[in-house]
Amino acid sequence: MKVLVAKYDACLRSAVSENKMALRFTWSLLSEIPIARCHRAVSTSAARYVDDLTVKQVEPKSTHKTLMTSEEASHEKAVSGYITIDTPHDITAINGVPEEQLKTRRVLIKIPTKNSMQSGTNNLHRWKISFDEKQRWENPLMGWASTADPLSNTEVSFSSREDAIAFCEKNGWNWITESPPVKPPRVKSYGANFSWNKRTRRSTK
Amino acid sequence: MGHPGEGLLLGMGATRAQSSGPEKIEVFIDDQPVMVPPGTTVLQAAAEAGVEIPRFCYHERLSVAGNCRMCLVEVEKSVKPVAACAMPVMKGWRIKTDSDMTRKAREGVMEFLLINHPLDCPICDQGGECDLQDQSMAFGSDRSRFLDNKRAVEDKNIGPLVKTIMTRCIHCTRCVRFASEVAGVEDLGTTGRGSDMQIGTYVEKMLMSELSGNVIDLCPVGALTSKPYAFTARPWEIRRTDSVDVMDAVGSNIVVNHRTGEVLRILPRTNEEINEEWLSDKSRFACDGLKRQRLVYPMVKDSSGELRPCQWEDALLVAGRALAAAQGSVAAVAGGLADAESLVALKDLVNKLGGEATCTEEIFPEDGSGTDLRSSYLLNTTIAGVEEADLVLLVGTNPRFEAPLFNARLRKAWVHNELDVAVLGPNVNLTYEAEHIGEDPAIIEKLLSGTHPFSQRLKAARRPMVVVGSALLSRPDGGLLYARLQQLAHQLRAGCEGGAEWRVLNVLHRVASQVAALDLGYTPGVSKVRNAPPQVLYLLGADEGAITREDLPADCLVIYQGHHGDRGAEMADVVLPGAAYTEKMATYVNTEGRAQQAQAALVPPGMAREDWKIIRALSEVVGAQLPYDNLAEVRDRLTEVSPNLTRYGDVEEANYFAQASALAQLVKGKQEAAPIDVPQKVLEDFYMTNSVSRASPTMAKCIAAIKKEAANRHRDK
Repeated sequence: MKVLVAKYDACLRSAVSENKMALRFTWSLLSEIPIARCHRAVSTSAARYVDDLTVKQVEPKSTHKTLMTSEEASHEKAVSGYITIDTPHDITAINGVPEEQLKTRRVLIKIPTKNSMQSGTNNLHRWKISFDEKQRWENPLMGWASTADPLSNTEVSFSSREDAIAFCEKNGWNWITESPPVKPPRVKSYGANFSWNKRTRRSTK
Repeated sequence: MGHPGEGLLLGMGATRAQSSGPEKIEVFIDDQPVMVPPGTTVLQAAAEAGVEIPRFCYHERLSVAGNCRMCLVEVEKSVKPVAACAMPVMKGWRIKTDSDMTRKAREGVMEFLLINHPLDCPICDQGGECDLQDQSMAFGSDRSRFLDNKRAVEDKNIGPLVKTIMTRCIHCTRCVRFASEVAGVEDLGTTGRGSDMQIGTYVEKMLMSELSGNVIDLCPVGALTSKPYAFTARPWEIRRTDSVDVMDAVGSNIVVNHRTGEVLRILPRTNEEINEEWLSDKSRFACDGLKRQRLVYPMVKDSSGELRPCQWEDALLVAGRALAAAQGSVAAVAGGLADAESLVALKDLVNKLGGEATCTEEIFPEDGSGTDLRSSYLLNTTIAGVEEADLVLLVGTNPRFEAPLFNARLRKAWVHNELDVAVLGPNVNLTYEAEHIGEDPAIIEKLLSGTHPFSQRLKAARRPMVVVGSALLSRPDGGLLYARLQQLAHQLRAGCEGGAEWRVLNVLHRVASQVAALDLGYTPGVSKVRNAPPQVLYLLGADEGAITREDLPADCLVIYQGHHGDRGAEMADVVLPGAAYTEKMATYVNTEGRAQQAQAALVPPGMAREDWKIIRALSEVVGAQLPYDNLAEVRDRLTEVSPNLTRYGDVEEANYFAQASALAQLVKGKQEAAPIDVPQKVLEDFYMTNSVSRASPTMAKCIAAIKKEAANRHRDK
């Protein structure tokens, strides 16, 4: 938990610093553009600190940074940026999903089953996750199908099994995976319908 | 079974494995090079390259017809487009699946198909999962040039399962080919030519097949749809759960289609090793029995002898008190639909209470090695293994009705691999030619000693199979006959091509729970209960009437746990409502010994609960708490007892045939003179075999239709 909070903190901080970087980048770009084309009416940035863009400006110092002692500053520098942790990526502590949903649910990872009523296979080239079925009922008022399970309508597709597994691991779900059916090679021959000495000869057409 | 990646094989042995295939040739699909074995069709080569060519008549499990012309593609330097489904590729061919010529050909075909196709998609049951809809969107023209009247065709009545709207038919003949090739009933055909062509039975008669429902799946349009499912739901509003069927011991893979807590239909799921892409009619249509005759609340018999609904606490207390007071005089009988989790929980509970008798309704002889060795009670060569066999001897079984998909596999091998089949038992119609060698049980002894004329054939066979039906095993002399068959199979094994790898002996069970029960150490048959009647008898879905009230003392308390109000609940003092196979996450083991998981599509109705949970709750009331609290822990227990029970999808090989055969030699007994018989001889006997199918109105309609069909003067007698 502690590790996660620290990481989260670090993420926020890095996002802030990145924003500043972007700001600086905008200024330096603008300083390259000739002044005539950089009229005030053409606003390229929401934040505008100076009027004369040709004059090099000093970045305003934040009070927070100014008031920091050198120890605090070195500490801040030490915790800025990304932290690499050894434990697997897990967001269960911060995603707010009730523990009951995490512990009792099971995710099945598989390629969708081909509908035997159809011959097309184009929608089978993906890995899907699905949750175990909870109670569903017919709404007595409208006859609609109802459920109290928010996860039952989750439809997420992945390009590979590994992606789907990683996603389930990250969300803290128990998962199982099923391999797609293997297709054995078959010989198809139109001539077999007319074979004289084989049982494949067809009486009907 | 050929291995994936081995490539296609020439010759008619569709899946017989050969290690050295012929040299592959190179073709180009849309300029993408692919290496394929010679004899591969254009359509298959395109599939190899990941290009799907549209088709209506072509189906990979049926013969090539080549009559819909939808698969026309351009081949470079060829003047005319070629039918991809029937044309074998030649070296260096450049096939264009998306050229102008190809697209024009498809559009033309589509236009002709739609000329006579009615525009009734909004009221058509196929709407939303219709190949014609899909392909006209993708490849068809956006307008019609046809101004004449559309053709109309009279609907045919082919029975209570398949609804026909023949005006919608596009004459792909998939149904005709399925009926004659896979189902083996030559009832469907075509009459007339051109726009007068019709698919039908010529004279009105029923499509009498145990696999007839598959034509609904095969039909690419809405000409053949499901009668019980008519106008029920649209495919996009349905939820689908992959599961396993329990109507027979084959363990077909199914997709349960459901909505608002109700099973609407069941469709097959492809599993090459079990059911391929087919499903028997009982598995497909008996699902409406899941809504009728259900036990939805616990019940306890009152002083006037009537079962009264009550709360779970009351029922568990009554049952628990009786179990505790019985002081070990407890027995359990498991029926044919029980899952492995509830079986292990019940056995643990009974044993913990001091009882020893845990039995199954289905009988299996205990002579010789009995059920000690797994190989004695499994279909050892596996269902797919049939395609490698060259001679099958069926003893006391009618696979057509006991395991329709096993029979479909036998028929497939008979057609494509020149398999020979011989029957020892009643001369039933198996849909393919089988040599009938007699009904006399004495023939088994003759076959063993080699004095019967058929012995020579058996000896000469390179990969023989002996398939023993469970009907034979339930004879009074079943133990003796089975021992002789074990010896015979072991004798044949010596001369087999595959050596020790080829297992000759096979047992074909009829019920889904039997193999799991035997793996868990249940005693087959109820003689143990009959010989020493217990004070409390626990029936776990035992509905076949193997044990009746008359077999038990008057003071014996009967607890019935199950999902249907059938024979078991009728004789019970306490009824505990359980879950049917679509309502629980459970393990079933098929006749091959393959463990498979059923997934819960629905929740059990009313106050009914998952079966192992009921037993677990009861154990706490009795004071003999079972040491598992969730499914994972029950499955750990299953693994502890028999690890194969949780290796889902795999067949664990079983061996020790020599030892079993040596023990079988010691079996002595008196052979009965009664001829070998099977209980299911005609189609009528197929439909109602368990509590679910007995409660199904569709199955009742099938039986009624067949009785009526007997009066049809057009039917061959």
